[in-house]
Amino acid sequence: MNARDWALITFTILVQMSVGSMWVLGVAHFLAARKYGNEEADRLSDRALFALVPVIALAFIASLLHLGNPFNAYRAVTNLGSSWLSREIFFGVIFAVLAFVFAFLQWRKIGPLLLRNVIAGLAALVGLVLVFSMSNVYMLQAEPAWNSWATPVSFFATTFLLGALAMGAAFAANYAYLQSKKADCADAQCTLMREALRWIAVAAVVLVGVELVVLPIYLASVAGGSAAGLASVKLMAGSLGWMLALRVILAIVGAGVFAIFLYQNAMSAGHEKMLGNLAYAAFVIVLVAEVLGRVLFYASHVRIGI
Amino acid sequence: MANQKAFYFDASSCIGCKACQNACKDKYDLPLGIRWRRVFEYGGGNWLFMDGVETPNNVFKYYVSTACQHCANPVCRDVCPAAAITKRADGIVLIDPDKCIGCRYCQWACPYGAPQFNEETKVMTKCTFCADLQDQGLNPACVDACVMRCLEVGDYEELRQKYGSLAAIEPLPTANITKPSLVITPHKHAQPSGQGTGSILSLSEEV
Repeated sequence: MNARDWALITFTILVQMSVGSMWVLGVAHFLAARKYGNEEADRLSDRALFALVPVIALAFIASLLHLGNPFNAYRAVTNLGSSWLSREIFFGVIFAVLAFVFAFLQWRKIGPLLLRNVIAGLAALVGLVLVFSMSNVYMLQAEPAWNSWATPVSFFATTFLLGALAMGAAFAANYAYLQSKKADCADAQCTLMREALRWIAVAAVVLVGVELVVLPIYLASVAGGSAAGLASVKLMAGSLGWMLALRVILAIVGAGVFAIFLYQNAMSAGHEKMLGNLAYAAFVIVLVAEVLGRVLFYASHVRIGI
Repeated sequence: MANQKAFYFDASSCIGCKACQNACKDKYDLPLGIRWRRVFEYGGGNWLFMDGVETPNNVFKYYVSTACQHCANPVCRDVCPAAAITKRADGIVLIDPDKCIGCRYCQWACPYGAPQFNEETKVMTKCTFCADLQDQGLNPACVDACVMRCLEVGDYEELRQKYGSLAAIEPLPTANITKPSLVITPHKHAQPSGQGTGSILSLSEEV
């Protein structure tokens, strides 16, 4: 692993987490607004939205670090006709701009609600195209370990898993902040946070289930596909096997065990402190698991040929 | 393609002397680690234990000299996000160093390892087919340096008519990924691409 690989790991993980977060925020806000009105829904999700702005900015700064000549970076969108990498950067920039504009309008409460919702919805949809493009970047014929249906499936799983748990931690932090300010909205916000965390816990368990089902099928299909694919699997199961094992264990602990605790503690009021700690821990553990997974992704590919 | 320059390589007569590799390195004054033309030693086989004596059985070895194949389907050009790689009318594939952003994406896409990153200029470089010499009607440096006369340059279709249509032997990748502009006369022990029983035996080179 060199600095260049870390730039790509940082970029892909943070972008996927941001896209997933936009979706989780959108769904949470929509459901909260239906039940408690727009103002309470804003109170639930606004600070989490603002936290996304530096995350997206950091992702794009990291992406520049992997270029030999970053001064030419603007050229990265000049081959949209045939390069998925061009498309990835193109949709990445659109996603970032829409997310920033939405966060700014939401911060200043500028413009009609409908307009803000449309911008947020567009950002979330462009985010899906972005993750799809990102998957296609790696689906090169000369790279059998990447050229698999498992690449988009696992990228989308990472997107929604990290998005859900990042926003779970953000909702918990937001609630702790509101309480420390002794805001008069505590009751409604307490219910909203608990309900959001319950659904986030369910999503986490389902998504880690997807990852665990995909992994063995993926390994078997790549190993049987070509000599280079077999060499990749030998790396993943051999010298990098400890990383694969750690990645799986951490995913199960964070998105499985902790998520179940999270679900139980969110059933009734009175465990908010515990709930917050569980949400933070689940996010951090799964973030480490997903980063390890991505390290493995870049460390284990073996190209066909010479 | 009506007009496509191509390399011909005669694996049956290559002795692995690497004069081609060094001529290329010298002409372009390539820095440490970059070899636009490379010579691979490929071999395998086993020894048999018969009547208390170890006897060589099917042991084999041959050399493959390879550079950029200036492919009919240049994946490097297709995937380059900066549109820095182009294919000339005569089929030569070139990287424009002023347009390259140094993302190294072409390095992942090319199964021949042709695009290589220059740590000094921070952009990708690769075999230019000595376009400067060819434009003057001269041969590429590697072709003229070959002591065994096993490298040739010519029109792809003409080379195929002369030498046949083989474009891949081990350790080269299968030809259907990029459709290389390459014609090979195989060594008598050459193994089909992707089905080899041997491995690359060349030692790592600090050049």
